[in-house]
Amino acid sequence: MIETVKDAQQSKSAGRIEGGIDAIVIGAGVDGLAAAAYLGKAGLRTVLIGAGKEIGGRIAAREIAPGVSGVDGEHLVTVLDPEVIADLDLYRHGLEYAARRLDTTYFFDSGDVLRFDGDLAQAALLSLDDDGDRETLEKFMGEVLEVAAFLRPAFTPAAFHSADAGHQRALEKALGAASPELAARIRQMLFSSADEVLRARFGDGPLRTLLLAEAAFRSAASPHEPFSFMSLVRRFAGEAAGLQGAAAYPAGGALSVVTALRRAAQLAKVDVRAATPVTSILIEGDRVAGVTLQDGGQLRAPIVVAAVDAAQTFLKMIGPASIDIELQRMLTARRAEISTARMQIVLKGVAQDDATRRNMMRRLFYAPAPELISAAFIDARAGRVPERLIVEAVFPTALDEGAALDKRQVMSVMAHPLPFDEKPDAARREEVRTAILDSIEMFAAGFSGRVEAEDLRLPSDEASATGASAAAYAARPDLLRQLAIANAVAGAGRINGLCFCGPEAQIGAGLSCASGRAAAKAALRAFRRSAP
Amino acid sequence: MNAQCDILVIGDDEASLAAAAAAAKAGARVCLLRAGERKKRPAATAPAIPNFVWRRLDLQDYDLTLEPVSARVTLFGEGAPLATYANPRATSAALAESGVADHLLWSDFLEEASALPGDDYLSASYFNAAAPGGRALAALLGDSAGLARAARLFGPCADMLDDYFSDARLKAHVAAHALANAGFGDREAGSATALAESYSEDAWRVRTPKDAAALRAVLEKVCQDVGVETLAGKVTEISAPSGKFIVVSVGAEDKIRTRRIFFATPEAALAAGALNGASLGRADCATFTIRFKLSEPVDPPGGDDKALFQVIDSGADLQEARDAAVAGRLFDRLPVEFEFTPNGEIVARSSYLPAAFYEDGEWRGWTGQDRQAAASIVKERLASRLPGFSSRVRRTESDIAAPPTAASPFAGCARVTVQPRRHDSVSAAVKLIDQVIAGDD
Repeated sequence: MIETVKDAQQSKSAGRIEGGIDAIVIGAGVDGLAAAAYLGKAGLRTVLIGAGKEIGGRIAAREIAPGVSGVDGEHLVTVLDPEVIADLDLYRHGLEYAARRLDTTYFFDSGDVLRFDGDLAQAALLSLDDDGDRETLEKFMGEVLEVAAFLRPAFTPAAFHSADAGHQRALEKALGAASPELAARIRQMLFSSADEVLRARFGDGPLRTLLLAEAAFRSAASPHEPFSFMSLVRRFAGEAAGLQGAAAYPAGGALSVVTALRRAAQLAKVDVRAATPVTSILIEGDRVAGVTLQDGGQLRAPIVVAAVDAAQTFLKMIGPASIDIELQRMLTARRAEISTARMQIVLKGVAQDDATRRNMMRRLFYAPAPELISAAFIDARAGRVPERLIVEAVFPTALDEGAALDKRQVMSVMAHPLPFDEKPDAARREEVRTAILDSIEMFAAGFSGRVEAEDLRLPSDEASATGASAAAYAARPDLLRQLAIANAVAGAGRINGLCFCGPEAQIGAGLSCASGRAAAKAALRAFRRSAP
Repeated sequence: MNAQCDILVIGDDEASLAAAAAAAKAGARVCLLRAGERKKRPAATAPAIPNFVWRRLDLQDYDLTLEPVSARVTLFGEGAPLATYANPRATSAALAESGVADHLLWSDFLEEASALPGDDYLSASYFNAAAPGGRALAALLGDSAGLARAARLFGPCADMLDDYFSDARLKAHVAAHALANAGFGDREAGSATALAESYSEDAWRVRTPKDAAALRAVLEKVCQDVGVETLAGKVTEISAPSGKFIVVSVGAEDKIRTRRIFFATPEAALAAGALNGASLGRADCATFTIRFKLSEPVDPPGGDDKALFQVIDSGADLQEARDAAVAGRLFDRLPVEFEFTPNGEIVARSSYLPAAFYEDGEWRGWTGQDRQAAASIVKERLASRLPGFSSRVRRTESDIAAPPTAASPFAGCARVTVQPRRHDSVSAAVKLIDQVIAGDD
């Protein structure tokens, strides 16, 4: 059925030039959807085109085991942009949280367990025996949250900073208010490694271990490298469900963010076209003029927003000849080394009592000993699968009544750090699978016996589903490099009318949509400037 | 005893002495606090004394003779050594002669490397040990060229070398000399800072010729002559009663009232028990120094006893050694830097030692046995490059500088300035102390 739809569309546009469009958004992931909804809402005739059959990019529903459906991509919401939620009315379009502030349980190699009612930011509620530790953590998290809230403007996507003097003034005003003490603290947190910051504040106890694991989680920078502490600061600058530093679970998983965005886009009269791969972005003089489709058709528009990865946008669709050498160097300079794996595991024979169910309605986090984390980064960089991985796990089937299964549970896991492979072979997949299951076994003894089915998702799988370059889904580098890349791609190679909100435009991991919003705003300004 | 001053310099290396003297010469009231223990004997080479420091301290009035180190030489496990020189043309010629195809790019590389540290937020806060306000940070965030440059400067050394050179031996040689000082791995973020400043104007080290007065002794004399008040002892406590002064307790009785505390090198800070706030991950490693007294001299490689030598097997050693230090263990193929003193001794150093050891699931500090083990690794490394070395070692003196494990008396004190580890530490320390004093006025 889907095939016929695609064929019909192909025959419709093959060899044809289609005009009368104000803006084209390439890429139907969350940022593309958000950008298109903004543009449509502002009254622009907007076409959103996605290469894959589904709308939503890497976030997609899929059968992970016979009769069990799972959602690919992010499994939690931690940094979803509150302005996007408000501007696009996402709550009215069906976004709903099954859990607004997930409680976290931390597991350690020692067998110790720390339960936080609420998240780390609410240290006061934590189940520590030692009041001294509790006070240290409370004070420390207070400082981190203060720095995080202060630096929030610095983490917003940089779409056309230089062209947007207003944004720059606002940024200077916001950051210029730093007191000398705060400036000194920012400097220290910026240059120090996560290990240094934490070692100076906490002894060898579990608090250092869990904060180190949280800082290293999903980052390509080892916690012994400078700027590595910033990834934690970045995470606490985000907010979920209106709460700074929280993690939330939407009803229906991350897919419901896609659904809500899609409704917002439809309401804004965005013309959404799936299965329409773009081969190139048309440049005429110093301006963008539209796109060429794989079927030979052309769409012409004065504004193009690229919401696919930078390698595709600048090296394939535009071509290295038309972009400046600095941007090209930035994009090709370094090979991705580290990645995070996602695994969805169907468990059978899980107890049905309330206590078990309550335990599964939490965010579970396995923090291996700091030495094992360092070793894991060294291994992963050298292309070896580490023995122990940091694991974050949630149970969608327990969190979300709508997803509940009979006598079975689905555990959704993110494991880090793993080596990044462009094309992992079967042996490598098996190694990764074993390492993840072994790491889960560290905190859930006897777990392996309950596994009915599991589904491993590596960056290369996501890339082949969405047509992106696998490297776009590798772990994010250190903050400084992210800022440099985000700034370079936001300039969009100095092509008028072109805006960029691919994954490289975002600072930090997680589902955000902020770069989609920033790119749409930049696109609107460009459209108004170009309009007669 | 009670003393009062504008700035208290703690440390007794060349950079601390020069900074203290320069500040006093500029009219500040300066106290210099030196370690109470026996004086460490200086290495054979010292950071360069640039012209402006020479003039400021009137060094021409003292009997001071210095000569530049003749070459930076790397002794590999296999194949011929590689050398670079202070003069870029001499370097290009020598590289061409050794068959290194990249010799034509040498001056381009030098130009970019030394131009990288700019006046942006990150360079200023790292190299000037300052905390510029958020406005400077905002300016950097809005400047994509500035961010690209900063990402290069604070990125991995290997990225920058890969951009210029294809010859693996040349890359290993350049990285070994640039990173030895701070014990950086060539693939870790931040290591390009060491690469950039290792080619700054005053980064080429100098030597004192045989029979000339030692640089340190001359600088001590200068300090005396310009009215630097010198004390000895260890800081035990710092209190900040009120106003612009802090009170530093030294030992049990002495108190110094000062506006600022200044460390010219991170080594001085470590020795006093202070940690650097912007150390780029350096809290994980320790520096081991060992002096070999020989029964009879060994032949220096290439017959040149005035060069600075690095011992590495291959370029991969640097990152592996760093990884081992982070993991808390000794590394067999330890990168070692060494030099010959004018009287034929050999002084060897390595900053790729762990700050603490990880054994059987526990961390522990350095013991006498660890020092012996480190000494024997260094000895083996030198023996593999210097024929006849092992049999001629008569005595050794070793020293380990590891980050403090005890609670620091400096913790939480905002008026402490620590200069990061640099090749041109004298030049940079004098510039920095001027800024610190100017900032207080």
